[in-house]
Amino acid sequence: MNKPNFDDFLDKSLNTLDKEITPQKDLWAGIERAIVNTNEPEQSAVTLWPKLSAIAACTVAALVALNMFVISPKPQPVVAISDYFAQQKQSLLVQYKNQDALTDNWQTQLQELEEAEYAIKQALKNEPQNQALLTMLAQIYQQQLDLINKVHAPRWQSI
Amino acid sequence: MLHVKPDQPAECENALIERVKSGDQSAYTMLYQLHIKRVYGLCLRLLADQSHAEDAAQEVFVQVWHKIAMFDGRSQFSTWLYSVASNIAINYLRKQKSWVQKVVSIEQDGMDEQSAKDCKGLNGLDKLIVRLPERARMVFVLFAVEGYRHEEIAEQLGIAVGSSKSQYHRARQLLQEWYENE
Repeated sequence: MNKPNFDDFLDKSLNTLDKEITPQKDLWAGIERAIVNTNEPEQSAVTLWPKLSAIAACTVAALVALNMFVISPKPQPVVAISDYFAQQKQSLLVQYKNQDALTDNWQTQLQELEEAEYAIKQALKNEPQNQALLTMLAQIYQQQLDLINKVHAPRWQSI
Repeated sequence: MLHVKPDQPAECENALIERVKSGDQSAYTMLYQLHIKRVYGLCLRLLADQSHAEDAAQEVFVQVWHKIAMFDGRSQFSTWLYSVASNIAINYLRKQKSWVQKVVSIEQDGMDEQSAKDCKGLNGLDKLIVRLPERARMVFVLFAVEGYRHEEIAEQLGIAVGSSKSQYHRARQLLQEWYENE
């Protein structure tokens, strides 16, 4: 039997495609666990301040990074940038000092990011003006701040 | 778990939504039952990974529980839900990427041929779609399966409209090649 040409196959397949696929496992149990501690859906924008302050901190960090790497006509030394982010990180760690984290292994993840930061800094010693490396460094700093904020954000505990 | 008939009329669904808005979890169970297969199908096609699709589908229903007050009833609930689901799946894929992949903008491959063949719940065209590389797959699913316009896809994925069109073309070429070599 001849195979239908591709256009016919595609048209027919798309027209008859069943958009529903049954998951292989029960997903409801995890969802229920995640929502059970928050009995009611959010009614309005309440208690958003922790999240907003975290977003504000990240935005400021991103803007400063942008200024340092892109806008500023005189390139800043990497050490000054590192100092700035170290300060941001420290203030976040202090801010969340007494707050439980959502995962147990976040410090391991942070350590992995710090190892990546170290590797990039080593590379920058040979090429201090390398824009790709500077961008990577900014990204890695941003990821550290995001990680700290994310694991301390007041969201569901687990799925 | 409560059970509902899949042909639940829209007015019943609206009543369920109102109950969910007031914090009724049993009503939410019923809404979940009505839509989980469709949401999971969308996540699986977009993410091409069963485990990721399960995680993303769960995240969809957790987020929708928290954000259902934002559904104002001006569109159909299903339209709103699937739009939330596609956004979550797209963001889920971004979050899965390592920082190197993000910086260098490396895209992830789809399933390999054998995994696609073994993947339960997939038939015919779906087995080819999940083999597509990430960008081509996402554009193809959103355009050809979900019916979004290239302008909407470009906005969702943060790419140019032209890129969306070229990724769709790339997806079709790959699908054709695999189909003809099957």
